[in-house]
Amino acid sequence: MSEAAIRITGMNKYYGKFQVLRDINLDVRSGERIVVCGPSGSGKSTLIRCINRLEEHQQGRIDVLGTELNDDIGNIDHIRRDVGMVFQHFNLFPHLTVLENCTLAPTLARKVPVEEAEATAMTYLKRVRIPEQALKFPGQLSGGQQQRVAIARALCMKPKILLFDEPTSALDPEMIKEVLDVMVELANDGMTMLCVTHEMGFARQVADRVIFMDKGEIVEEGRPAELFDNPKNERTRTFLSQVLSH
Amino acid sequence: MTTVSDVNTHPQPLNTGFQPDGLGARLRRRYFRTPGNAMISLVGMAALLYLVYHALDWAVLKAVWASPDGTSAVCRDIAGACWAVIQQRWRIIIFGLFPYDEQWRSMLACIAMVATIVLSCLPWFWKPLRLSTLWCAGFITFYVLMRGGLFGMRVVMPADWGGLTLTVFFYAAGVLIGMPMAVALALLRRSEMPLVSRMTGALIDGVRSLPLITILFTAALIFPFVLPDWLQGDKIWRVIIGFALFFAAYQAEIIRSGIQSIPVGQEEAAKALGLSYWHRTGRIILPQAFRNALPPTINQLVITFKETSLIVIIGFFDILASGNAAYGTGEWSFAYFEVYIFVALVYFVFVFSLSRYGAYLERRMRFGQH
Repeated sequence: MSEAAIRITGMNKYYGKFQVLRDINLDVRSGERIVVCGPSGSGKSTLIRCINRLEEHQQGRIDVLGTELNDDIGNIDHIRRDVGMVFQHFNLFPHLTVLENCTLAPTLARKVPVEEAEATAMTYLKRVRIPEQALKFPGQLSGGQQQRVAIARALCMKPKILLFDEPTSALDPEMIKEVLDVMVELANDGMTMLCVTHEMGFARQVADRVIFMDKGEIVEEGRPAELFDNPKNERTRTFLSQVLSH
Repeated sequence: MTTVSDVNTHPQPLNTGFQPDGLGARLRRRYFRTPGNAMISLVGMAALLYLVYHALDWAVLKAVWASPDGTSAVCRDIAGACWAVIQQRWRIIIFGLFPYDEQWRSMLACIAMVATIVLSCLPWFWKPLRLSTLWCAGFITFYVLMRGGLFGMRVVMPADWGGLTLTVFFYAAGVLIGMPMAVALALLRRSEMPLVSRMTGALIDGVRSLPLITILFTAALIFPFVLPDWLQGDKIWRVIIGFALFFAAYQAEIIRSGIQSIPVGQEEAAKALGLSYWHRTGRIILPQAFRNALPPTINQLVITFKETSLIVIIGFFDILASGNAAYGTGEWSFAYFEVYIFVALVYFVFVFSLSRYGAYLERRMRFGQH
């Protein structure tokens, strides 16, 4: 297996005095697909937001693609270009068309020529199956379409790692599948993915490893089959029974 | 491969067979639905017609439009408006004390400045290069025409500028300098460095808590004592910068409110894409902030236009002060009402155009175009 894409060692994070993440140790290999799950408030979103430094950690060390995350802003911008993120609420730029959403960062941050950026954007929009919406504004699309644009927008930067922060939680049920299908395809293509989600079917289908968090700690991790069918920790069992019972 | 140009973005509207009512049906429904309703409508309309008739009678039917001999004698025994005062004195109202023979320069300069403002309202000019070229050309044209000293034109110092031309110039220069100041202040106030944000906050609050008059006075009369000679510049520029600062303090808070109403996720998404601070600010935050802040911004621009009349107190003859001068001679002093109506109409044309333009911008932005 190749070198670690992400290496987190002994990381602690606090909001004021309140500790939100506790002694996190996590290695993610390049090409690995990880699903992070856990009850609300367990720190799973905070954890993946630390990986592109939307949140700062106070103790321990985070290395992403061989660079340590610290106060060096140039480093951070550089890392962020290689680490795409898809948000729960899509966060598309409403004043730009779908196409402009996809070409803005490549042309500005990567200095890709406009024609090339547009061609790349159309390729990815086709891949998420909405090239016909390219000239519309985000407000004119459904939630599922917006989230697929958000995925295309992240892909246009040709990232080495993709972070998903509950990508289907804000979607109507009939739109979840169209987004998950795109994510499964990405996973099959070998993208390094960290995905916070409650979609256990998705986790079983694509995850190499599932991480269960509670109260700011990584409680248990393992292959999806082991963790879901034979959880060792009491907290994992309780959570899984609540999630799977409905 | 699907290319951008293939994409159909405008689906045909559905034909629902819905027909809106005609005008007659709508009037009946709104004003004559019940007998009581009809009576109120009729009484109201009668009162309105009566007032409109009286106003028209004074302003049009019984009015005197011109004075053939140049004196006010034609207006001596009339019951209507004496528009002859405008016909005789309009040059003072529009050009102020600008030398009579050179007033064509003031006229061209005024047209150049208004054209610059109108052109920069067109979306085609909303590119940094085009806009800055336009404004540089506009201001240079204005300044050369007004000040003269080139191409054989007599020098006319800013102290002799006046009327509508001065008002328009003062406004355009104040807003043009004030708007970038406002953006800078709004961004500095949001700085993560406490010292910077506090000092900016203090500056904004300080300027806002002073009356505009004191700021103009300070710029015109106090700064010459405290500034070194080479920094003083002409009085008109000191006053314009004071005016711009006052505008900027208010506008900065309007822009800040626009920034605060943008969801946090926007900045996070821009950060996650690796965009730098300046790219995030220039391409994601400010465009949305201006859009959110459009109604109060238009409001502020309107107020600022009317505030230009305060420069009279430091010796500049803007259109309102020139209007005073126009009827101030003993000959026309009875006709102040007509002069004020004329000046009010000029203000109205500018301010009403501005608010209509604001409404157009809001419609245009509704779908996200910019």
